Amino acid sequence: MSNRRRPRLAPPHLSRRQFLGRAGALAGAVAIGPSILAACGRRRRRRRRRWGGGGDTIVISNWIEYIDEDKALIAASEEAIGAKVDYKEDVNDNNEYFATVLQPNLGQGRSPNRDGFIVTDWMAARVIGLQWVQELVREAAPNLANLRAALADPSWDPGRRYSVPWQTGMTGIAYNRSVTGRDLTSTQDLLDPAFSGRVTFLTEMRDTVGLFMLLDGKDPTNPTFEDAQGAFDTIEEAKNSGQLRGFTGNEYVNDLSTGNLAACIAWSGDVAQLTKDDPNIRFVIPAEGGMLWSDNFLIPETSEKAELATRWIDFFYDPVNAAQLTMAIQYISPVDGVADELRKLGPDGVALAENPLVVPTDESLAQVRIFGSLDEEEEQRFDERFAAITGA
Amino acid sequence: MEREPAPGVKRGRFAPYGLLAPGVLWLALFFLVPLATLLRMSLSSKANRFDFEPDFTWEWSNYSDAITEFGEQFRRSFAYAGIATVLCILIGYPLAYVIAFRGGRYRNLLLGLVVVPFFTSYLIRTFAWRTLLADEGPVVSLLQDVGVLADGGRLLATSWAVIGGLTYNFLPFMVLPIYVALEKIDVRLVDAARDLYSNGWRAFRKVVLPLSLPGVFAGSLLTFIPASGDFVNAQFLGGPNHTMIGNVVQNQFLVQLDYPTAAALGFILMTIITVAVLVYARILGTEELV
Repeated sequence: MSNRRRPRLAPPHLSRRQFLGRAGALAGAVAIGPSILAACGRRRRRRRRRWGGGGDTIVISNWIEYIDEDKALIAASEEAIGAKVDYKEDVNDNNEYFATVLQPNLGQGRSPNRDGFIVTDWMAARVIGLQWVQELVREAAPNLANLRAALADPSWDPGRRYSVPWQTGMTGIAYNRSVTGRDLTSTQDLLDPAFSGRVTFLTEMRDTVGLFMLLDGKDPTNPTFEDAQGAFDTIEEAKNSGQLRGFTGNEYVNDLSTGNLAACIAWSGDVAQLTKDDPNIRFVIPAEGGMLWSDNFLIPETSEKAELATRWIDFFYDPVNAAQLTMAIQYISPVDGVADELRKLGPDGVALAENPLVVPTDESLAQVRIFGSLDEEEEQRFDERFAAITGA
Repeated sequence: MEREPAPGVKRGRFAPYGLLAPGVLWLALFFLVPLATLLRMSLSSKANRFDFEPDFTWEWSNYSDAITEFGEQFRRSFAYAGIATVLCILIGYPLAYVIAFRGGRYRNLLLGLVVVPFFTSYLIRTFAWRTLLADEGPVVSLLQDVGVLADGGRLLATSWAVIGGLTYNFLPFMVLPIYVALEKIDVRLVDAARDLYSNGWRAFRKVVLPLSLPGVFAGSLLTFIPASGDFVNAQFLGGPNHTMIGNVVQNQFLVQLDYPTAAALGFILMTIITVAVLVYARILGTEELV
């Protein structure tokens, strides 16, 4: 998910963190140029170098604002595993992380200098398929048994040998009721001419195309390029007609609260916090269905500290710690028993435990689908068509 | 009239090369070498999608494909950059003129004011525009009040926001060279023109304008070239129908991982700009001016 992070009381302007994120993306764009140039000069001998690091330190990459603000949980995890954790918030976008960190290193058999990183399902599927990651050290991680059963066996990683979810979330539609003047219930509402120029979709292809496939009566859990044509056509038409203001990562959060946007495709965790501050901002899972995704923890094939890294993620599978994390970031925890632990954390915790966007109910889970995996060729066709529409 | 070379000049026969060496080395290392690898990349083809080191296969179709697929973004980039350059001249020339000829003792202060915003980063300034031009922001409501903009109209995510952003961001690069050119003009030339019965406008047209053209030329290059490759303004101020070629290159590199296409796009952009600059220089007759 591009730019996904915990929402805040959004000022109308760009916050420092957002700016840093963007600047990072730019710096990445600048930085990748030379490495590509260097790489294309001559075919280098593939060399396997394992990354040692110094002493007992593990390096973890995660998304921005995907942990408690003062990082007390990181300190607690260091205590628990008896090693330092160099926690980098340097994942800003799946594609960008792949292009700047994973591919230039793992693609050439070099270490990316990470012992763990967190990316969304489809990207996790890709790196597992490319055999760039190694198995988790299950026997060192008793808490991983607390993984919710529904998440235990994805098609791209049967039995979760290589990956475990960090958090999960839902994709649906968010709207500002003071702008729309009515409640929205369907993805079709995003195409209402009354909201012309005040609607955004996500740059995350699977979220946007997934919702429109559902609207089109197609099944995104088993996607084919043919089935997606209707969805692509609708998205293209919305763009050409000026209905769409843009394709966004998480920057829709600001535009939604300032009223620049009437409605948009959005991620549940972002909106959960906004709603608390402004009840006019609402999130719904469209009547035709919404999407469900996870961000997954993986260990690069080059890491020599797989056991430490596995123990680190295991720390967050203790329901007590998982509940702390949920309190801080309000996404859906993949850990069983979090709701009970939340209820022990005072009124705020109880409120979260009752919030179907944070602790989904059977009904809300029945409404969401997981975008099925695409083989390499299909994925390229999807990406190319989507890129042609997003205009870049 | 022959003049004795000062002592020591002979000895320094190699001095010019010595002085040139750092620059030449720098350009060779950081311009020519990358350019060559970029050219090679633009003629390569990928074995598969995640191939980090595409094979060099004289793949000329990268170029034709890039032009067919992204012709629209090319046209848009040059149109936006062209309009922004013209706007920069229209705004920047009078500004530079006033500073140079009427600035008096405030000259340096005024020049400073032109440059001051640039102590803030490019990104932050562009983002400030997002706030200014927001749908519920001050500019939109003012324009709606005076009836320029229809109710429910907007500025953000329009071509004008992108062109406005480009114009704003590159204005000092127009003002400064024009100022330098104007500042060099001997005001007595204007006095002479007036003495010869030229009115103010004619004196400007016949004396000041031609003498300041090198400044306009330099300013136009400094504005047009980076503006046509810019992607920040289109990214943050435009909508999905306003993407420029810079956005395409960024997307091809970082999202599509299609390095050959991105490299080909870069080369096409460079070629078009070079040709455009040569034509422009020809029209302005800059060989004699500079």
